[in-house]
Amino acid sequence: MKLHRQTHVRLRRGSVVGRRDFLRGISAASLAAGTLGWHDLLTSQAADLQNRGMACILLWMQGGPSQFETFSPKPRHANGGETKAISTSVPGIQIAEHLPNLAEVMDDVAIIRSMTSREGSHPRATSLLHTGYLPTASIKYPTFGSLVTQQITNEACELPSFVRVGNPGRNRTSAGFLGVDYDAFAVTRSGQPPANSRLGVGENRFRRRLNLLDQLQTSGTDGQSDGYVQDHLALYRKASKMILSPQMEAFDISKESQQVRESYGEGNFASGCLLARRLVESGVTFVEVVLNGWDTHQDNFTRVKELGGQIDQPMAQLIRDLKERGMLDSTLIIWMGEFGRTPKINARTGRDHFPRAFNVALAGGGVRGGQVIGATNAAGDEVTDRPVGVTDLFQSFCKSLKIDADAENMSSVGRPITVVDGGEPVNELFS
Amino acid sequence: MKVSLMFRSFRILVFVSIFAAASCGLGLSWNGTLADSPDASARPSLEVASNTAPSTSVKPADAARVVDNYLRKEALVDADEAARTDDATFLRRVKLDLVGESPTPDEVMDFVLDTDPGKRKDAIQDLLSSAKFGQNWARYWRDVIMYRQSDPRGTVAAPSLLRYLEDKFNAGTSWKEIATEFITAEGDVRENGNTAIYMAHFGNGEEVAAEFSRLFLGIQIQCAQCHDHPTDRWKREQFHELAAFLPRVQVRAVQNDEGPRSFQVISRENNARRRRAQANRRRPTGREHYMSDLEDPSSRGTLTHPKFFVSNRSIPKGETDKRRRNSLAVMITAQSNPWFAKAFVNRIWAEMVGEGFYEPIDDLGPDRQCSAPETMDYLSEQFIAADYDVKWLYETIANTDAYQRASRERRRYTEAAFAANCAQRLRGDQLYDVLTDVLALNTSNRRAGNPRARRNARNAFTAVFGYDPSMPRDELTGSIPQALYMMNASTVTQNVRGNRADSALAKILQEFPENDDAVTELYLRCLARVPSKDEAQTCRDYLAGISNRREGMEDIFWVLVNTAEFLHRR
Repeated sequence: MKLHRQTHVRLRRGSVVGRRDFLRGISAASLAAGTLGWHDLLTSQAADLQNRGMACILLWMQGGPSQFETFSPKPRHANGGETKAISTSVPGIQIAEHLPNLAEVMDDVAIIRSMTSREGSHPRATSLLHTGYLPTASIKYPTFGSLVTQQITNEACELPSFVRVGNPGRNRTSAGFLGVDYDAFAVTRSGQPPANSRLGVGENRFRRRLNLLDQLQTSGTDGQSDGYVQDHLALYRKASKMILSPQMEAFDISKESQQVRESYGEGNFASGCLLARRLVESGVTFVEVVLNGWDTHQDNFTRVKELGGQIDQPMAQLIRDLKERGMLDSTLIIWMGEFGRTPKINARTGRDHFPRAFNVALAGGGVRGGQVIGATNAAGDEVTDRPVGVTDLFQSFCKSLKIDADAENMSSVGRPITVVDGGEPVNELFS
Repeated sequence: MKVSLMFRSFRILVFVSIFAAASCGLGLSWNGTLADSPDASARPSLEVASNTAPSTSVKPADAARVVDNYLRKEALVDADEAARTDDATFLRRVKLDLVGESPTPDEVMDFVLDTDPGKRKDAIQDLLSSAKFGQNWARYWRDVIMYRQSDPRGTVAAPSLLRYLEDKFNAGTSWKEIATEFITAEGDVRENGNTAIYMAHFGNGEEVAAEFSRLFLGIQIQCAQCHDHPTDRWKREQFHELAAFLPRVQVRAVQNDEGPRSFQVISRENNARRRRAQANRRRPTGREHYMSDLEDPSSRGTLTHPKFFVSNRSIPKGETDKRRRNSLAVMITAQSNPWFAKAFVNRIWAEMVGEGFYEPIDDLGPDRQCSAPETMDYLSEQFIAADYDVKWLYETIANTDAYQRASRERRRYTEAAFAANCAQRLRGDQLYDVLTDVLALNTSNRRAGNPRARRNARNAFTAVFGYDPSMPRDELTGSIPQALYMMNASTVTQNVRGNRADSALAKILQEFPENDDAVTELYLRCLARVPSKDEAQTCRDYLAGISNRREGMEDIFWVLVNTAEFLHRR
């Protein structure tokens, strides 16, 4: 039976209204955390790490990154603006000048330049590119991280299987009808431990309190030990086990050497990428790292240059680092936002929303690097070769992560919803 | 001061001994010794009730007796009914349900010691006349609407929605009038809270139609949006005929340089010039609804005219937005449409009693199973007779035996419905208010007196603990961040401490020098009840093992706010 990492919900026997496919919880595990340190754990799990399942790191560019200033420069057309193109480690592939480090690892990166959608509003497009579906009132579609962790998960890991780093603000997507069990565990600032994960009192006193809580809830309650009390006990065992676990060290990037930290560069996004590597290494299945600020209606060129500076070194180092650790093949890295930006430069030297033709970059997870999929015309306003729709993209993610895209989940209105609805994987990515 | 303290300690003594007498060996439930028992002779007979045409409203307490009689007849035959719940549990339940707060220790003691047989009935009336009733249920409906928003900008309308509903519920406005105002809403969304359903979906006619149907009729017709529903009678066309009432309503940004960004709900009628231009191209004037062609999604689809699927009534083609929406409001709230009353009755009954006549609570309709159809018919007919008086319904339900039974675990399908109440998880706002009171946050915290900081703190809290109230409750689970918050957030860990003289615990420790009394006071404060004998003993044993009295009490305080019971109303 498949187990999920986070809470374990009791299966209610023959409940009248239960429709969702609950998974039975594992038996109550003892609170005592292991005595092994971080390095011991790593060594003891080294073999497991080699055979572990797939993982995914989504680098989410909130606001809609300009394709012209990232992976699809058009230096020979007026629409390309002042942005220059630079050569990469792969002959024939050029990317924007703001990404010199990524140019060096282009062997491992595949670019899709022919992404196309019809959704040009931030909230709806953010939802579309996170869930594969347009938002509706009746069905809350789960975000991709929730879908992935519901489908594949690492049982040896005591950490939440889906972690989101950074603050997506009100464009936050949730586990939807899959339920809070599959929601992202949020780390708002990558340099700090997750909210409320540090004990408010000493560890001995904390354990003492937990014991009293257990005692008061399991005895002398006049048979009031209802299902909700059982669920609560299980949740507290889970949560306390997590925060007392040595694996929590994975959230502490100061455990990395200064050399490693410097290799990722500076800034929140850089430490987010380093954190993502540490988490995946500890068995976390899905990490989403959010970078805001791509909605460049004004002053596009200065701002995207600065944003490019924030992603270039960390993302390139993330690819290198995973590769050196033998984890790149089993970790899919996705770089994307909700849409692209208009080819025409507006009067405020900005670019507006443009879903018709934009780009996505992928690395690892079995994706053959050093290739470009699809193309746009010289002006960059039409896809001229190999259009890739959002569902095609999600099919490709599933193929990389070895997830059955046709698997059905039951929505709260009792209608089965497939992981991805339609579309075909972009097979060239994997050949 | 001294006298009142002594009096209070005395009351605790009486209180605890009554509790002990009730729970050890007398075979009585706690309330058995003190509380009223419903007088069977006062119940109107079923025959009289069912023969009465619903024209004048029945008094809530009388209606409650009829409801219980119907339930005994059709749902509870040979059922193992739970006993009437004890007074303390009842008071916490009814106060949380009606006004969203937990009773204070004094309120619990006063209520339990009160020998008036009509005290439950009186307590219900008092709570319904409190302004917090409107606030509590406004927050409920804000959640019901906003958790389903398909556009995050919808949140802009949340504060005005709260104000709007709070006023309406407290003023006793009928549900019919409120629904009509939601459907016919227009104007700035920051000022007109009744625009919230349009704003939550940014004016998208199909989404709004689906929500009107779900919220006001309890019918999930949107499943027919894309295909004829496999288990329902509704056809795809009927969904689109409903959406066809709404093609000309629009949400648009308000252009203003001052103040926060806002939006308004408007009617988009074609102006004369556009009308002429369109006439030349022989198209109908004004915007109409087109049902998409599933075989050819890029085509325009089929022109669809407004028709209400319940009554099959239509309106003349090409009507203005105002007329379309007015007609829709009239049709939805018509007395001849049973689903309008039933949807509201079912939802509120489920929130109070723990299970709806129909489950999930927003999925009714002629093809759904009702677990007590005659009871439902009676309640909804009387709700109509009471002119959709919202408070009438709450008062009636709160006075039923069904509501006042002890809680049990959610029933299995082989067990009778409504044989017991059911524990409900507190909504984010309820829990926030309870925690604020219990930890004395507004008096001892820096937040006190700063409304903005208080609003932010509430929003941050409800973001972690809130949930969509339409969601089936047995699918609702706690989350890791919630557990971590209650365990470790400084709001909790700092305010269960007794080191500051003005903290809640320091006052208790000073007021109650005996450990048993202090523990009882903590139970009253956190859970609005006294500890059981076993619980008192467990706490006694625990304190015996800890040299520092204050530390031990801090631990017990922390434990009580971390119990499942604290997060639920039983």
